[in-house]
Amino acid sequence: MTAQAEAASAADVKTGGAAPGAVWHHRHLLDLDVVSWPEIELIMRTTDEMKGILARPIRKVPALNGRRVTTLFYEASTRTRVSFETAARNLSADVVSVSTATSSVTKGESLVDTVRTLEALGAEILVMRHSVSGAPYLAADVFGGHVLNGGDGWHAHPTQALLDLYTMRQHLPGGDLHGRKVAIVGDILHSRVARSNVWSLTAAGADLWLCGPATLLRGMDRWAVAWSGGAIPGRGRFHVTSDVNEALRDADVVMALRIQRERMQGGLLPSLREYATRFGLNAERVALARPEAIVMHPGPMNEGVEIAPDVATSGRAVITEQVTNGVAVRMALLYLLAGSHDPAHAGEAGR
Amino acid sequence: MTDRQIMTEDEIRRAIVRISHEIVEKQVGTQGLVLVGIQRRGVPLARRIADAIEEHEKVRVPVGALDITFYRDDLSLVAQQPIVKGTDLPFDLNGTTVVLVDDVLYTGRTVRCAMDALIDFGRPRAIRLAVLIDRGHRELPIRADHVGKNVPTSREEIVKVHVAETDGRDEVSIARQSRAGEPAAAGNQ
Amino acid sequence: MSLRADSHTGPRVGEKVERFEVEKAWLVDPASGREGPGEIVVSGGLLESVVWLEGKDALGVTDAGVVVAPGFLDLHAHFREPGFEDAETVATGSAAAAHGGYTSVALMPNTEPAVDEPGVLERIRSAARSNGSPVEIFAYGAVSVDRAGEQLSAMGELADAGVLGYSDDGAPVRTSKLLRSALLYAGMLGLPVVDHAEDTAMTAGAEAAEGYVASVMGLAGWPEAAEVNAVSRDLAVFADALRDEPRARLHLTHVSTAAGLDLVRRAKAAGLPVTCDVTPHHMAFTDEWIAGARRWSWEALGADGKPRDPWADGALVAAPYNTALRVNPPLRDPTDAAACLAALLDGTADAVATDHAPHTVVDKEVEFGRAANGISGIETALGVLLALVDAGKLPLARAVAALTSGPAGVAGNWPGAAATPAARSRGLVEGASADLVVFDRADRWLVTEGALRSKGKNSPLLGRELSGRVLLTIAGGRLAYEDPDPDRT
Repeated sequence: MTAQAEAASAADVKTGGAAPGAVWHHRHLLDLDVVSWPEIELIMRTTDEMKGILARPIRKVPALNGRRVTTLFYEASTRTRVSFETAARNLSADVVSVSTATSSVTKGESLVDTVRTLEALGAEILVMRHSVSGAPYLAADVFGGHVLNGGDGWHAHPTQALLDLYTMRQHLPGGDLHGRKVAIVGDILHSRVARSNVWSLTAAGADLWLCGPATLLRGMDRWAVAWSGGAIPGRGRFHVTSDVNEALRDADVVMALRIQRERMQGGLLPSLREYATRFGLNAERVALARPEAIVMHPGPMNEGVEIAPDVATSGRAVITEQVTNGVAVRMALLYLLAGSHDPAHAGEAGR
Repeated sequence: MTDRQIMTEDEIRRAIVRISHEIVEKQVGTQGLVLVGIQRRGVPLARRIADAIEEHEKVRVPVGALDITFYRDDLSLVAQQPIVKGTDLPFDLNGTTVVLVDDVLYTGRTVRCAMDALIDFGRPRAIRLAVLIDRGHRELPIRADHVGKNVPTSREEIVKVHVAETDGRDEVSIARQSRAGEPAAAGNQ
Repeated sequence: MSLRADSHTGPRVGEKVERFEVEKAWLVDPASGREGPGEIVVSGGLLESVVWLEGKDALGVTDAGVVVAPGFLDLHAHFREPGFEDAETVATGSAAAAHGGYTSVALMPNTEPAVDEPGVLERIRSAARSNGSPVEIFAYGAVSVDRAGEQLSAMGELADAGVLGYSDDGAPVRTSKLLRSALLYAGMLGLPVVDHAEDTAMTAGAEAAEGYVASVMGLAGWPEAAEVNAVSRDLAVFADALRDEPRARLHLTHVSTAAGLDLVRRAKAAGLPVTCDVTPHHMAFTDEWIAGARRWSWEALGADGKPRDPWADGALVAAPYNTALRVNPPLRDPTDAAACLAALLDGTADAVATDHAPHTVVDKEVEFGRAANGISGIETALGVLLALVDAGKLPLARAVAALTSGPAGVAGNWPGAAATPAARSRGLVEGASADLVVFDRADRWLVTEGALRSKGKNSPLLGRELSGRVLLTIAGGRLAYEDPDPDRT
């Protein structure tokens, strides 16, 4: 066989790739607690396809042609909003952005009224970010289309956890997280990224460690203990500790979360400098992890606080990959949500 | 429910050989020619056509695969049809004559999507279409340049194409439209 | 049993009940401690006869059917008038109360303006007189001017105008110093301070009870210590005030934690004349409802006495973050709920009070963390207690006592109120003015917005059936509520 024929045969191997099992039926994506592992794998496979599109000269497909995606961001966030909007545009959707600094919300319009107005203006998929936990559930209750949670309060940031998972799978042998140690270090208490990662990484079978100062871990131990007896079938347990060395030792993945200045004002941290000294991911701490371990951060980074500049730019850091993967994951989710109108699930209790 | 066989293994083989000759004849040679199979069954068919061309012209025409999942205009299929993985176009499309290959030509919508997809990858000089079966009922002004067999059908019928590479045997048959929810074999459009 | 069959010539709400009979029903009389098959006759607004059946007359009459009990007394409700009439008025609140079997309700003073001087009290009284409902309305005055926690309100004038006691509810009495002064001054007047025990410094920004559910759902936690701290403070200050003024009295309302109740238990055992109440929702709902569970608190406890994990056992059946569940004190975990019930059973909690807190849609149809606190609960209190009875957790007679003699006893504990109507004995007494409720344990009703008489539709029980449909409520000899279906037998 000629080399080209061999390559052609190899291409044929791909054609057998009919996805087993999962079909997407959720009308909304609000949190990962109701997403099964086969569904997560479907998202991962779809993301692979979307990454393929991003690698093309024309990184656009007409899949969501004529569909209206509206971003409704109650919390300022340029990166996440632009990521969603890029994802929507790559699928040829029409994008409308509403950020509340410039909208009638500042005049006191309620969330419910805002959502209803946007629906009347043609919104079909609503990507929402809000500072109060649970807000997207309220939106989902009154919105006739699809709601995609771009982050709500401390509660959930499902697309972030999914892109984190995707990134990890790209770097771990076999794309398998079973038994792999993942350490997340930072302000866990206030982190929707941490909570969503708990759902996704325990579903993936990872050995998850959440680490931070005791004041920023409060309450998470209850969750870890509740799951320690293997409470939810098929879900791994996770650990909570304020010992950063224990958390990082032999880790395969190290993730730093942003520390916000407000935590000092709230009496939860003495100072950012003290945090950096005791918990910051510097070269010395990262050396405790496996030599091939990757370093992650959801961004934006406070270099010098939770992560040292040399670590953030080191060869092990995959932070910019996370950003690219973020666009691909969001394209995958917009695609799956837009295609999901199984009437059997229309009555799904706002999940 | 009995399926009516309309092409045997041998008939399929002969049709492919004939198509391979037609393609070369129309191109007046193999220069600039590439074959792109539409997933899924168009891909093995494209490879067989390339094999046949290689036999009589001693030239291996490049073969690619095109997945049109994201070019469909009907998202309701997302819930039922798995992602068919694999767009693989390992050559530069610019200036080539692309012969799209599919198993069945029906409404023409799949081919329209395939053309949209191709054009996002580059600028072919020309695009032609080769299909194993043309079953009529076009909804768009699309016609095949090369046809294995013309088979008049009614809308209640399904054309089932089986190819050895994916289904274990070579055969084309027709069946009456069956239980609701059963995906149309080979996603004929 | 039979009710008067002809609803067309019967009295309208507010009118004297001239003739009414119940045959072969289950009577519960907390005043005498007696319960059993019986018959009553109301004539000319008085409870003319109460007959206890025996022998073969009593055959077939059980406590699972129609029950006659004294009208209920609620020591803690919010009728929002004046100032928040969109959420409730004295008129709609009274209708709701009667629908729930209540014939007497004590109103909290967190209106706008607050009831910190007699003029505002008179507005409430006047609304009560003119709305035609015979439900008896009592009122607390505010402890501090405008409930701001700085200066004492016009306590003396309010006492003269007939308040039942003083409270800054909605909030705790702000400082220990003010609490002590209030206890002394009110004690001098023979009236209590009713405190909402909350350490507000610990609860700033809190959304849900600190615990497993709040941790998973990313909700700011309401620490248990915030209540325990406040209860501890209140008891210490009370003990102090009592030394100087033996008539000082403290009542802790809606205590919701095991630890807080335990402090009350120990204080009582040491002889402190403190009383407390628990709410139906703290006994029956838990924080897992916020995650979408809807099972009763006792169903959420595993065999080992530990709370079950709603994410693990398929208990989540409703959408999460329902704002009807946002309440102060917050719904707690199943062990705290069990502690509230245990407190009621062992007498640590003297009464059930509803903390009926109606809110408008505008205040509730918002993000969870921004929703107003409160459950509209006066109409469902009986149904919730009967769910406990049905589950074998609470005897029927104790449930009735918690709604009648219990609260009356609390008021009886207050020297200046002991002789007032609030403290009158709740019982089925021949010759007294008829004040009773008739409900049917065998008949269920569906809690819907339409079924609720309150303007406040913020109930987590919407869509659920409760047993114990109230058929009739008579307050002070006059009709307060009648079930609208005249064919009911």
